[in-house]
Amino acid sequence: MFEIFTYRKPINYVIMLNLLAYLIMFCNLKPYNVETLAFGIGIIVMICITYFIILKSNFGDEYLFLIVCMLISLGIIMIYRLDNNTGIKQAIWTAIGIVLFFVTCMIFRLIKIWDSLAVCYMVTSVFLYLITLLLGRNINGATNWIVIGGQSFQPLEISKILYILFLACYFKNPDQLFFRSSKYDEAKRIYLNKFILVLFTFINIFFLMLQKEWGSILLFFLVYIIVLYVFGKDRIFFLCNILMTIPVALFGYHFVYHIRVRIDTWLNPWKDIAGKGYQITQSLFAIYSGGYFGTGLGLGRPDMVPAVNTDFIFSAICEEMGILTGVAVILLYMLLAYRGLKVVMKVKSKFNQVLGLGITTMLGLQTFIIIGGVIKLIPLTGITLPYISYGGSSLISSFIILGILQAISKEDYIDSDGEIDEGE
Amino acid sequence: MKENKKIIHVLIVICFLFFSLVGYLTYVQVFKSKEIVKNSYNRRQFQVEENTVRGKILDRNGVILAYNEENGGEQQRKYPYNSLYSHVIGYNSKVYGKSLLESSYNSYLLGLDEYTKVFSLFKSSNQDKKEGNSLLLTIDHELQKLSHELLENRNGAIVAMNPKTGEILALVSKPDFDTNEEMLANNWKAMVESQSAPFLPRATQGLYTPGSTFKVVIAAAAIESGMDDQKFNDKGVITIDGKEISNSGKKAYGEIDLKKALAVSSNVVFAQLGVKLGQEKLQEISERFCFETDISFDIPVSKSQFQYEKMEQNDMAAVAIGQGKILVSPLHMAMITSGIANNGVIMKPFLVSSIVSPNGKEIKSFKKEEFKKIMEPDVAIKINKMMQEVVNSGTGKKAAIAGIKVAGKTGTAENELTHQKKDKEHAWFIGFAPAENPQIAVAIVLEYSGSSGGTIAAPIAKKIMEKYLKEK
Repeated sequence: MFEIFTYRKPINYVIMLNLLAYLIMFCNLKPYNVETLAFGIGIIVMICITYFIILKSNFGDEYLFLIVCMLISLGIIMIYRLDNNTGIKQAIWTAIGIVLFFVTCMIFRLIKIWDSLAVCYMVTSVFLYLITLLLGRNINGATNWIVIGGQSFQPLEISKILYILFLACYFKNPDQLFFRSSKYDEAKRIYLNKFILVLFTFINIFFLMLQKEWGSILLFFLVYIIVLYVFGKDRIFFLCNILMTIPVALFGYHFVYHIRVRIDTWLNPWKDIAGKGYQITQSLFAIYSGGYFGTGLGLGRPDMVPAVNTDFIFSAICEEMGILTGVAVILLYMLLAYRGLKVVMKVKSKFNQVLGLGITTMLGLQTFIIIGGVIKLIPLTGITLPYISYGGSSLISSFIILGILQAISKEDYIDSDGEIDEGE
Repeated sequence: MKENKKIIHVLIVICFLFFSLVGYLTYVQVFKSKEIVKNSYNRRQFQVEENTVRGKILDRNGVILAYNEENGGEQQRKYPYNSLYSHVIGYNSKVYGKSLLESSYNSYLLGLDEYTKVFSLFKSSNQDKKEGNSLLLTIDHELQKLSHELLENRNGAIVAMNPKTGEILALVSKPDFDTNEEMLANNWKAMVESQSAPFLPRATQGLYTPGSTFKVVIAAAAIESGMDDQKFNDKGVITIDGKEISNSGKKAYGEIDLKKALAVSSNVVFAQLGVKLGQEKLQEISERFCFETDISFDIPVSKSQFQYEKMEQNDMAAVAIGQGKILVSPLHMAMITSGIANNGVIMKPFLVSSIVSPNGKEIKSFKKEEFKKIMEPDVAIKINKMMQEVVNSGTGKKAAIAGIKVAGKTGTAENELTHQKKDKEHAWFIGFAPAENPQIAVAIVLEYSGSSGGTIAAPIAKKIMEKYLKEK
């Protein structure tokens, strides 16, 4: 019985965070709204049930979910504080996401043919890009949303997963992805498959350029480079890929207006605060107005930041919960990346290894790109903060990714060291 | 396994990226955040101001000196006495920022202090405007007004304080300026360019050569060195190290003692005293009297200067008559005067006596506090007597009040303009009354007045002290 209240159980930290946050919001947001407390209790119940299922049904690494739980909680708290209705929507998306997490986990374990579907991934991916181009709606300045039955959704989030799956297929057998039964000799087969790998990567980048998704281009490319570094056998090929980025980056800076503007406003946003530097400066005002401990939930003005519940949610967290919470969030992502890579190192099958590495680096880099952007460490590119930003498609794809990672962790997990380490 | 090693490389890179985020965030928070948050495009700072009725500022008797008025939905700061408190309260403007008390007590005036934050958590509703705390000053509005009038259009400063408590009763600096928003906007450009430096709060941040008023400090040193009963020969002129020092009008007083020397403000005697006391004693006493010391006060105060590394004989002589490389703020001079009046102990000067919450509760009050003991009581009593002689029979006769014993010291300070043979001396007067039980101490300086302290500063001191003592 007493075990429920012990500080040794990481889940209790998640519960504590939620309890305190909703209590503080109840006190600070006038007029008093009992729904706030009810909503908070609902969230806690949802988290506890999920955690209980994971624990009882022996799902593998439980810490992955715990870390994500903490991030999800922070996100829902902040979004709920900014707008109650959006917060409720986010909670519903989270519930759907959790269901999908379990479903993905099961499907991934039951069906074993994932490594032979490379053509499907490529075709689906290109199909998604094409319908985005044709049916895309412009929401918040980016033409990468499609609307189905009143629900807007971003196909890009699915493309990310497809791309990682494709990478995993390729690196499983670099010489046998295609042309397996052809009459070409082995060297030629490797060469042709390599060509397809580069081609598909550039198809992704090309479509992302059409959507002006610079942040995602960076993300795809970095994941590609990292996977290539770890699993690629051909050093010269790897170096060529790296060297190629330099002329492309220079070309981008000189001839693509959007990229130049982003870099210029990064170098000096104060020059044009009312115009091009507006977003980033408003974000900086928010982050540093809170100081180390923040203004307190409901007492700051994060609503002054544009796109605050998606791209700039980190600024809102820093303003109201303080720089220290911001640092804690960054460290949580670092722990997530660490757990993910730990899983990857213990996994035996090549396909799962590449998949795990791709997923983990994608989560980690996406976090770095957006947080680095809003604190002005790197040029700002609008992508979402995984698990925290508001948005159904982002949340769902993040949960599917987590489901795959969880499945991998269970599949080949060699539970040798008793698992009492710094996971919390 | 080779791949696992490479995965560790990836882990290191990712950790490095995350730590660089943490490092950058912390670096900016520590070193740059103040500048960022203060940017005028950060609407948060005005948000608080717009949603708060900034607290009032009142004098010791409850006269309102600053209040907020709502003008077309916008909060506006009003100063009913226009320029009278420009160098005490300062201004609070959306365009030009905040100064002096408006700046140093900003968080209290806006109710952002910890006390108000905690206790209003469960009270106010978001719809109502929040109310800030009020400041109760130690200033006596009537005395401030009189001081302001007596300065007329001369540049200078007047400080009046209660020597026994450290309460500042009047603090006037001229030139001054109207602190109301629209007047600031009209005059800002001209004031910034003006040569008379209207933004300088002379009483606290102006630094002047003290002239003969510094002789009270030298007299203290002389008494401590046992020279109070000695006789000095005053021939009207003396040559020290080849430099001639003379009395005002080269008047010779013959054989006189320290008391008489102070009363007539004999430069010849004090120059000799300076040499006799020597560098060590002069430096020790200036340090003890808080030169080169930060004075903590409700508004910023300039440090008084005593800029000597090694003193020659003529430096010692110059310092002893209040010339040379020494500079003092009028507030500091008032504090020294108070120290003499209060038997050798300077009380900590203060402007704000209490902070009152909107519902009339005192949330913070400031009580009298000892600042520094500058001399033994018996030395202070002796100087007190000597300073009474200044007013009774010496240079400060014009400060005398019928029926009340007044102690004082005049000063006529040479400065950078008098060296060019112009009639531009600073006129000084310091004093306190009643001498046997001091209630008020004053320090007055009139910049480049071209007249002596006894002629124009003493009568002003008289009127201020008389008014205060009569009203009491």
